[in-house]
Amino acid sequence: MSASGRAAVSRGVLLRLREQLEFTKKGQELLKMKRDHLASETNKLLSKVAERKRLDDKIMQAYKSLKAAYLSLGYSGLESQASTVSKMTVRVRPRSIMGVMVPEMLVENVAKVSAVSSPSAYQAASELNGLMEDLIKLAEAESRIESIAYELMMTNRKVNALERVLIPGLLELIRYVEGRLEEESLEEFFRAKRVKQIIRGQES
Amino acid sequence: MRAIAKLRSLSEVTDQLLRSDYSAEISKLPREEVDSVRLERIFLKTLVERYFTLARDARGKAREFIETFATRIEVENLKRILRAKHAKEKIEEHNLMPLGREYTLVNFPALMKAENIDEVASLLRETVYASIGERLDTYARTGLPTILESFLDVTYFGRVWEKLGRLPDRKDLEWLIGEEIDLRNLQLIFTLKMRDVAPRLIEELSIPIFYRLRNSIIRRLVQGGLDDAPGILAGTSYDSLADEILRKTKEPAANLEALIIRRLYQDASSALGNLFLEFGYVVSYLLVCEREAKDLVTITTALDLGISEDELQRRLVF
Repeated sequence: MSASGRAAVSRGVLLRLREQLEFTKKGQELLKMKRDHLASETNKLLSKVAERKRLDDKIMQAYKSLKAAYLSLGYSGLESQASTVSKMTVRVRPRSIMGVMVPEMLVENVAKVSAVSSPSAYQAASELNGLMEDLIKLAEAESRIESIAYELMMTNRKVNALERVLIPGLLELIRYVEGRLEEESLEEFFRAKRVKQIIRGQES
Repeated sequence: MRAIAKLRSLSEVTDQLLRSDYSAEISKLPREEVDSVRLERIFLKTLVERYFTLARDARGKAREFIETFATRIEVENLKRILRAKHAKEKIEEHNLMPLGREYTLVNFPALMKAENIDEVASLLRETVYASIGERLDTYARTGLPTILESFLDVTYFGRVWEKLGRLPDRKDLEWLIGEEIDLRNLQLIFTLKMRDVAPRLIEELSIPIFYRLRNSIIRRLVQGGLDDAPGILAGTSYDSLADEILRKTKEPAANLEALIIRRLYQDASSALGNLFLEFGYVVSYLLVCEREAKDLVTITTALDLGISEDELQRRLVF
């Protein structure tokens, strides 16, 4: 739909349109800043997620030790050894990054494995325990990336909509209104001139 | 055992075991309820029955000895209770080895209900483990249940060694029990050295019965570094074991128990072949039964965990 089809033409409308354009441009700037911030946040998180490969290897190694402990002690034996490990507590609280709610995980108590008496169970417990904090950090980074990526996509869409649709539309409308107002003022000028000529003709 | 280890499902293992001593217990289990946890319980129950059937059939000092020897099950259950109480966890009957009330003087139901380790210690006051209270201060200071567990080992082996001294023909039996004590001490020393526990504490916790590992060797092992252990043990019958644990194995901590247990049960197997007409035969038979139970647990656990056949075969003692 063209701008000319829907716009009422007056100086007031032009002023309002200009204000709207200025406001939209400011909004676009802010959204761009948000987008850049979210992108840099994602970049930071990506380096953490890149640790996954190294963690995967460590997890495989820890599981190998765990299997060795199971084979040495059996289920009930390992269960008994595992009962001596103190519980790890993690608190999850929401945090806002540019208005995006992301989880923040805080390890409040690290599990203590020193009480495990069997060497194979101790080996497995200490390897797994060493991994837990890294795994929690990875889970935090992955869930943050998920939320931020969605918000980044939405922000990008908004910036694109402003940049490609709304602002060009407003500019076109302003140009149209300006053109119409200029035409009207020219018409008015000629009308006034003509009226003057007629009046002067009658006088002479 | 090797043939059972080649089977690739629990149901195949169960079918095979239905033709053995385990059939009475396994046949009671509905087929759909067969899993490695239940099977483990059956293997351990059969092991306990074997111990006490032999004890019932023996007479005099031999009976006393077997009964004392069989308290290793009671000791294992006490350790499990202490571990649970240390972590303030609940413990129930199914978490313990299936030891019938008639086979023990320890009041396990009361121990399981105890609030904490102090209460466990007070409940043990009327038993042979009464002096566990002496270790409570050290336990409170370090927070390590190993302190109490090692006390139980010291008490157990002390009693077994004492009963052994009363037997008339004890030379070969002394070898079996003595080697087990040495191996337990080696395991304790290596385990605690790997965790950088203070040498004085390690020395305090070791079993003060010195068979082939003299007191001076134990002291040098405790004072020295782990790398020095094969050198210190050179000339003893454990030098190749130390070498295997500390130099040839990639993950010493993960394999320590398996290698020590293998050595112990290999000794028992060779004793079973050599001591046919002696009392040592009975004890080596019990150790071989223990090995069988452990191997069966390893096989069923390995099937559950999807362990490869090669890895499983390496783990078995047989």
